[in-house]
Amino acid sequence: MTTRTASRRLAAGAATLALLAGSAAAQDLFLTPGEDDRFDWDGLAAFAEANDFTGETLEISGVWTGADAQMVNRVMAYFADATGAEVSYSGSDGFEQDIVISAQAGSAPNIAVFPQPGLAADMAARGFLTPLAEGTDDWIRENYVAGEDWVELGTFVDADGDEALYGLFYKVDVKSLVWYSPDAFEDMGYEIPTTMEALKELTEQIVADGGTPWCIGLGSGAATGWPATDWVEDFVLRIAEPQVYDGWVDNSVPFDDPVIVEAIELYGHFARNDDFVRGGSQAVPTTDWRDSPSGLFTFPPECFMHKQASFIPTFFPDGLDYGFDYDFFYFPAFEGQDLGEPVMGAGTMWAITDDAPVAHALIEFLQLPIAHELWMAQSGFLTPHTGVNLDTFSSEAQRGINEILLDATVFRFDASDLMPGEIGADAFWSGMVDYTTGTPAEEVAAEIQSRWDAMR
Amino acid sequence: MDNIAGRKSGLSWAVNLSVLALVVLWLIPTLGLLVSSVRDRDQIAATGWWMTPVPVEMTFRVRVAAPDEQQETDAGFVVEGNVLEEPSRAHWFEGGRGAVTAFGTRSVDPTEFAPGDSAELRGGGTLTVAADGSFRMVSDEGFGRPVNVLFQARVPPRITTENYDTVLTADGMDRAFMNTLTVAIPATVIPILIAAFAAYALAWMDFVGRGVLIAAVVGLLVVPLQLALVPLLNLHNQIGIGQSFMGIWLAHTGFGMPLAIYILRNYMVGLPRDIIESARVDGATDFQIFTRIILPLSFPALAAFAIFQFLWVWNDLLVAKVFLPSGSASQVMTVLIADDLIGSRGGDWGILAAAAFVSIAVPLLVFFTLQRYLVRGLLAGSVK
Amino acid sequence: MTPLLQGMVTILVGVTACVAYFWLSNWVLDRVIFPARGPNAGRNINRANLVRPWLFLFPAIFVLGLYLAYPVVGSFVRSLFDRSGTEFIGLGNYIDLFNSSGFRVALRNNILWLLVVPAAATAFGLLAAQLTDRLSWGNIAKSMIFMPMAISFVGASLIWRFVYANNFDIGLINAVRGVFGAERAIDVLQIPFWNNFFIMFIMIWIQTGFAMVILSAALRNIPEETIEAAIMDGAGPFRLFFSVKVPQIMGTIVVVWTTITFLVLKVFDIVYTVTGGNFGTHILPSYMMNFMFRDDGRATAVAFVIMLLVLPVMVWNIRQARRELR
Repeated sequence: MTTRTASRRLAAGAATLALLAGSAAAQDLFLTPGEDDRFDWDGLAAFAEANDFTGETLEISGVWTGADAQMVNRVMAYFADATGAEVSYSGSDGFEQDIVISAQAGSAPNIAVFPQPGLAADMAARGFLTPLAEGTDDWIRENYVAGEDWVELGTFVDADGDEALYGLFYKVDVKSLVWYSPDAFEDMGYEIPTTMEALKELTEQIVADGGTPWCIGLGSGAATGWPATDWVEDFVLRIAEPQVYDGWVDNSVPFDDPVIVEAIELYGHFARNDDFVRGGSQAVPTTDWRDSPSGLFTFPPECFMHKQASFIPTFFPDGLDYGFDYDFFYFPAFEGQDLGEPVMGAGTMWAITDDAPVAHALIEFLQLPIAHELWMAQSGFLTPHTGVNLDTFSSEAQRGINEILLDATVFRFDASDLMPGEIGADAFWSGMVDYTTGTPAEEVAAEIQSRWDAMR
Repeated sequence: MDNIAGRKSGLSWAVNLSVLALVVLWLIPTLGLLVSSVRDRDQIAATGWWMTPVPVEMTFRVRVAAPDEQQETDAGFVVEGNVLEEPSRAHWFEGGRGAVTAFGTRSVDPTEFAPGDSAELRGGGTLTVAADGSFRMVSDEGFGRPVNVLFQARVPPRITTENYDTVLTADGMDRAFMNTLTVAIPATVIPILIAAFAAYALAWMDFVGRGVLIAAVVGLLVVPLQLALVPLLNLHNQIGIGQSFMGIWLAHTGFGMPLAIYILRNYMVGLPRDIIESARVDGATDFQIFTRIILPLSFPALAAFAIFQFLWVWNDLLVAKVFLPSGSASQVMTVLIADDLIGSRGGDWGILAAAAFVSIAVPLLVFFTLQRYLVRGLLAGSVK
Repeated sequence: MTPLLQGMVTILVGVTACVAYFWLSNWVLDRVIFPARGPNAGRNINRANLVRPWLFLFPAIFVLGLYLAYPVVGSFVRSLFDRSGTEFIGLGNYIDLFNSSGFRVALRNNILWLLVVPAAATAFGLLAAQLTDRLSWGNIAKSMIFMPMAISFVGASLIWRFVYANNFDIGLINAVRGVFGAERAIDVLQIPFWNNFFIMFIMIWIQTGFAMVILSAALRNIPEETIEAAIMDGAGPFRLFFSVKVPQIMGTIVVVWTTITFLVLKVFDIVYTVTGGNFGTHILPSYMMNFMFRDDGRATAVAFVIMLLVLPVMVWNIRQARRELR
C-alpha cells in the first residue's frame, strides 16, 4: 500500500482549499508562476501554449484523502490553469473496490491513480485501461533513474494478450525508513543503529530503560493491515536474495515458503511483544496508521521509533522541525547476511480509465519537471525524474530520502502492490491483522496461499 | 392493576429504577458522542468525555530561542518570558486561567521539577518556571543553542464548534448532505405511489391469483439485498444507466416495494367496507374510489411508510456503495463516513463524532416529530 | 443541473408519469376497449373489471420482478460460473467456499447473529414494553429507547466505537475497568469469539425500540378480563406476565422476531464500520463484499447461501400470510 491519508490538522486556510476540491480550476495557485526561478516555469508556459481544453472536465480518482488530496489538488490547479480544463479529484479509502465497480459500470473517471500496479494489471487484462501515448515508454527510459524498471512496472497485457505501457509513475515513496525524535534519543543517549542486530538491541535497551520502543498502527479503514505488509516485505529483502522476493510476487515462491514465514515472524518479534509497542500488541491492529507516529512527539514520548514510508511526515503534528523534532534512519540490514542494503519503495501509477484527449494531456503534464517540483515544494513527494531541480524540495529530509532512493544497491517495488488485488489488497492485509492478533504465521501464510490457489 | 408492579410500592420502585437504568444505558453512548463532538480535539485525547467540565492536565514544550533573546546582566546571561503566552495556545489560558503544575528540561521527563524549583540545564545554566508560567534562565557562559522547556499545565475546559466547521467545510459533509437528500427524496416518493395502487388492488379488488400475489409479496419481503447487487448493476450497465442517481432511485424503489405494498395493503384492508361498497353502488369507478376515498383515508399508513423508507434510504450504505459512483460529487454521508472519514480521521474522535451527528440530525428530527405515524404504521404492519 | 434539482424534476416527472399511467390506462380500458355503453355494456363492465386489477398492479409487479425476483434467479445462475463469468463450473464456487476457513467463520458468526440478535432484541423489547407500560413517564422512556431506530447503522457503529475504544480516556468500557483498577486498556473487539457479541449488541441496541413499540401495543390489546381473572386466582405479577400475558401475545412476538431476523441478514454496515471483518468478525454479507466485482461467481454464491438461510423463515412467513387470507 502506498499513500493513504489523514489530515489530522487542517488549518483554516487548508479547509477552504479542500472545500473547493471538486473544482481545482477555481483554486488559487499556491506559487505564482514565474516568481521563484528554482521552478521550471518555462516548461509550464510551453505546455499551456500547446494545450487548450477550455470547458472540458477531467475526473481523477485515487486513494488520497485529507492532506494528500489537498496537495494533489494544488498541483492539478496548475494543469487546470494551463489548459482551461476543470479538474475534479476525488479520493476514497475504498478506491480498490470502487474503481473496479465504476469501470464495470462505465462510469470510471478519466484517470485513476493506482497505488498498486497489481490492481492495474487486473484491470488492463479486463480491458478497462487505455494504453498511454506512443513514445511514453522511451521518455521514461530516458528521464527516470532505472527507467527500464519503471517501464516494466507499468506494462501489462490487455484482454487480447498484447503488451502495452499503461501507467506512468508519479510520486514515489521509499518505505525502508525508521522515524525517530533526535531530541528524545539525545536525552536518553541512544545511538542510531546501523545493523538489524543493533536495532533489536536498542529495542531491548529502551524497554530496560522503562520506555516503549515502537509505535505501530495498522488501522486504515477498509485497507486495515497494509502497514504490516511493508514490514514483512522489508524483512524478506533482508533475509533472502532479491530473486526470492521476485518469485514471491509472482507466486513461483509460494506464500507459505519458510522464508516468507520467517519474515512474518521477524515482524512479529517487534509487533507481537506487549512491551515493544505503544498500547501493547492489541493496540497495533486498531490504531490508525496516520495517528500512530504521534507517540514520538508526546512528552514524555510514548514511543521512540516508527517504521513508515517517506510520506509519513505529512501526518506529523504541525510545527515540527526536521532534524530537531524528527529525523529518520535507514531500516538496517542484518550484519550476518551478505545481502547489501536493500531498499523497498512504492509509487502511484497514473493510468487512463476513460479515454479522452484531456487525459493524455495530463499524462504529458506529469512528465514536465514542474509537475514534480510543485509537489516536491509541498511534502511527502519523491521522484526518479532526473530533470527536476532538487532545490525545490521543501525539506532536507525529503532531499535525504531521495538520495536513499537514488543510491540503493537493491531496489524493489512494494510486493503487496504488485500481487493480484485479491491477495495484495485484501488477503495479505487481513492475514497480517490475523497474525498480529495471535494466529500463527504458518497458518496465516497457508491461508493466503490457498486464496491465491483458488484464483486459478 | 395488571402491572407487574402490582400494588407493592417496593416493586414499583424497582420498576422505575430498572426503566431508568435501561434508558440511561440506551442514551449514554449517544450522549457521549454529542459531548465529544463539541470538545477540543486535544482535550478529547487527554480525558474522557465524562470529564468535560473538569480542567485537563496536559504537557507542552516550548523551544526558547535563547541565543537570540538572552541579555547579558550582572547575574550572567538571562532569558525571561512566560510559557503560557506562546501565541499558538495563548487562547487556552486567557485571563490567567491556566496554571503550570510541573516542569522539566528533558522530553522524557517533563514533570521532573515543581513550579519554583531551579533546574540544571544540560547545556549549562539553570531554569526556573513559576506557577503562573513566567520563567527565567540564567547561564554564565551564555546560551549557544535553543533550549527546550517542558511543562505540565492545567488547561480550562474548552467547548467549541470547530469540529463541525471542519467536517462541514474541509471534509465535504456539506456536499454529502445534499447528495443524501437528493437520493432520499425521490426514492421515498416514487415507490409510495406505485405501491398504493397495487395495495388497493390486493386489498379491494377480486381477481384470480390475488392470494398467490400476496404470498409472493410476503416472500419477497425477505429476499436478501445482497442477491440483487451483482445482477442489477450489470443490468443497469447494459441499459445505460450505470452508476447514477437514476440507478439508485430505481434500486431503492424496487427494494422498498414489498414493504410498501405490505404495510399499505394491511392498512387498506382494515378500512370500513360499507364506505367502499356504497361508493360502488353510487357508480364510482375503482379509479375514483382509489383517489377520492382510499388515498385520503390511508394517509397514516402512507406517512408511516414514507418515514420508514426515508429513514432506510437516508441511512443506507450498501446500496449507495454499489449503485452510486464513488466520487465526491455523488457520495452520500454514510459512504463518506465509512470509506473516507473512518480511514482518514480514524483517531480524530471529535471529527468523527461531529460527522456522525451531522448524518443523524435529519433522521432524528423526522423521528421525533413524526414518531406517532411511524408507530401507527408499524402496528398496521405487524399487529393484527 | 445540480443533482438536487435533478431529483426534484425526477419527482415531478415520476409522479406525473405514474398518475398519467394509471389515469390513462383506466380511461382507455373504460372508454375505448370495453366501453360501458351500447348493447354489450354489462358484459364490458365485467370484462373491464377483470383487467383492471392488473392495470393497478402492473408497475409494482414489474418493479418487484425486475429488482427482486429476477436477481434471485440471476444470482443463482451467476454463482455457477467461474470468476470471469464465462466458464460453467457447477457447484465449484460453493465447494471452494465451504473449504475456506474464512467462509466457515463468517457462516458461524452469521448463525450466531441469527440466534442471538432477534432473541435478545425481542426479550429486551418485551421487558421494556412491560416495565414502561403504566409508568407516568413511560412514554418519554419509550421514546428514548426507540430513538436508535432513527440512527443509521454507520452512525450507530461510530457511537459504539467510542464505547468500545481501546483507551481509558475514550472508551467507556475501559474507563469503568480503570475505575476497578485495570492497568492496561483492552480492546473488546479483539477478544476472539466474544467480540462478535459486542458487535451484535449494537444491532440489539437499535432493534429493541422496534420490538418494544409493537409489543407494548400488543400488551395493551390483551382483554382486561383474562388479566382480572388471573389476579382473582391469586396470580403474582411474574406469573401473570409469563403465564397469562406472554401466551396471548405470542403471535406478535413471533412477528417481531422474524422481522428482526430478516433485518439481521441484510446488515453488513455494522461489521464493515466497526471491524471491517477483522478479528474473526465477518458475517456473510460483509464477507461477500470482499469478492464483489472481483470474483462475482463467489460473491453471488455467498449471497445465495444467505438466501438459503432465510428460506425457512420465508416459507413460514408465506404460510402465515396465506392462513390469514382464508
